[in-house]
Amino acid sequence: MNALASTSVTARQPVLEARGISKSYGAVRALSGADLSLYPGEVLGLVGDNGAGKTTLVKCLSGVHRPDTGEIVIDGTVREGLSAEQTRSLGVETVYQNLSLVDTLDVMQNFFLNRELVYRNPIARMLGLMNKRGMYRETTERLRELELAVEARRPVAALSGGQRQMIAVARAITWGKHIVMLDEPAAALGVRQSLQVLRFIRSMAERGVAVLFISHNMQHVLQVTDRIIVLRHGEKVGDLVTAEASAQQIVTLITGSDLVVAGKDMVV
Amino acid sequence: MEDAPPQTTPDAPQDMKVSEGRSARRVIRRALDRASGSYRALGTLIALGVIWLFFSLKSEYFFTTENIFNIFLQASNVGIIAAGLTVVLIAAEIDLSIGSLQALSGSVAAVVIIQHGQPIWLGIVAGLGATVFAGFVSGMLTWKLKIVSFISTLAMLGIAQGAAFLLTNGTAIAGFGDTYALIGTYTFHGFPGAAMIAIVVFVLIHLMLTQTKLGLQIYAVGGNAEAAEFAGIKAGRVKLVTLMISGLTGGIGGLILSSRLDAGNGLFGANDLLAAVAAVVIGGTSLFGGVGSVVGTAIGVVMIASINDGLILLNIPDFWQQIVIGCIIVAAMAVDQLTKAARLSIL
Repeated sequence: MNALASTSVTARQPVLEARGISKSYGAVRALSGADLSLYPGEVLGLVGDNGAGKTTLVKCLSGVHRPDTGEIVIDGTVREGLSAEQTRSLGVETVYQNLSLVDTLDVMQNFFLNRELVYRNPIARMLGLMNKRGMYRETTERLRELELAVEARRPVAALSGGQRQMIAVARAITWGKHIVMLDEPAAALGVRQSLQVLRFIRSMAERGVAVLFISHNMQHVLQVTDRIIVLRHGEKVGDLVTAEASAQQIVTLITGSDLVVAGKDMVV
Repeated sequence: MEDAPPQTTPDAPQDMKVSEGRSARRVIRRALDRASGSYRALGTLIALGVIWLFFSLKSEYFFTTENIFNIFLQASNVGIIAAGLTVVLIAAEIDLSIGSLQALSGSVAAVVIIQHGQPIWLGIVAGLGATVFAGFVSGMLTWKLKIVSFISTLAMLGIAQGAAFLLTNGTAIAGFGDTYALIGTYTFHGFPGAAMIAIVVFVLIHLMLTQTKLGLQIYAVGGNAEAAEFAGIKAGRVKLVTLMISGLTGGIGGLILSSRLDAGNGLFGANDLLAAVAAVVIGGTSLFGGVGSVVGTAIGVVMIASINDGLILLNIPDFWQQIVIGCIIVAAMAVDQLTKAARLSIL
């Protein structure tokens, strides 16, 4: 399925593009002219060593950080200085590495954060009166679909690391209709839940959503992506079709040398 | 290392389905989660009951309708500013200026109504406008200049009281007249109108916090400002709104006070900050943000007013009031810490 998707994909216009993005934090140069293009219906892997600039690139794309130089193009239009809220209103949904859940709120409140259902009538709308029953029903339904045995009104602080991660991923999958960026979505998950997340990612792409997938786990990357971009020292050093790439080739690009661990799986 | 070994999340696979053996624990856990907020309020309510019982046994006047209504009257001022303070604290900020804001709104109203002979409504609007503006300034300093609210409202504490003294020339401007006096002295079958105003303020703030998007945003920003920002909530703006709300409640408290005292002055209400903080803390609102309710604050305020009232009835010197309230704050915090530890060990 991967090879098929990637050949048809390249003919289309990218929904999200980064052109020559640079970003420094004080004296530290996190990104120096990174490029990336993401097409609808594809899962694009973004890999690189710690400090290669993956997370910084995602934060620039999602509007949390403003790049020093370079352009961000969403749906063919150059977008400058978008806030996180504006980016999200263009249909870009992001799961950050730190999950960005509010621990003191419950699952339902996190699920609908800043997207709360409001009663239809004009006065309720003006006051921002929330339809809690509707939100509860939708959250419960969604949790069941995702096979998550978590109560919708349970505070997030009381959940396990894996459950918290599933909530964050579930939120992005639910609201992501266009572009979804996932920064290490399976980092705290057990084997079974990881596979479930990978399944969700694949089904999203089949619905036509463009997915950017960041992971250190080479197995996951090879399993779920159509194409892989490799970052090193804030620059793009590789752009490969997954079906034609080998784990060793990717690791070589990531590290910049032929680092081979004899007799071991290529899990970096 | 991201390929997490199974032992780090041992409960993950089992969590997928509810097995019979775990369901009982699950029910208990859920009940504890759900009730923890209301248990906290219930505990405070029981403590209030014990205090009432104690004073009732010590003084036959304590548990009379007249005295209970008097407690509500005494509680209404501090209650109103404590309700606003609760909102600010939930957003993980603080407003130290609320006492001074009472002095400011009363003084502004006195100058407008008494000195300039303007209509009462104009004095009320001017008084509330001044304190909402003060909250706006504190909030903007916190939002745009990143001056923590502890400092910006500390500055406002001085500025507002100084302005009140300047407006009134350091004296009390007295003589509002009978109509204005009704704000603080009206009673309905003995029940004080000021307490009715306080109840309306509490109900409105409670509904705002629990039923509206703004309320949820306040909890979200206080719980994790970064995550709220990632979700597109403008944390600084939400915090600004909370400081304007406490500006408004500070203004309302000041108007009631000036009406009851029939004068405006830079001192009236300026010392209420500590009592308000005490009420909020007794009520279970977290000083670190994200957690709290005005229901708890309401009980806390009535508790403090009851203690003050009871000690007076028992002819115990004023100074003891402060000591007793200090001890109750410590007790409330100790109970919070102990129950938190107990909850963690059960879960």
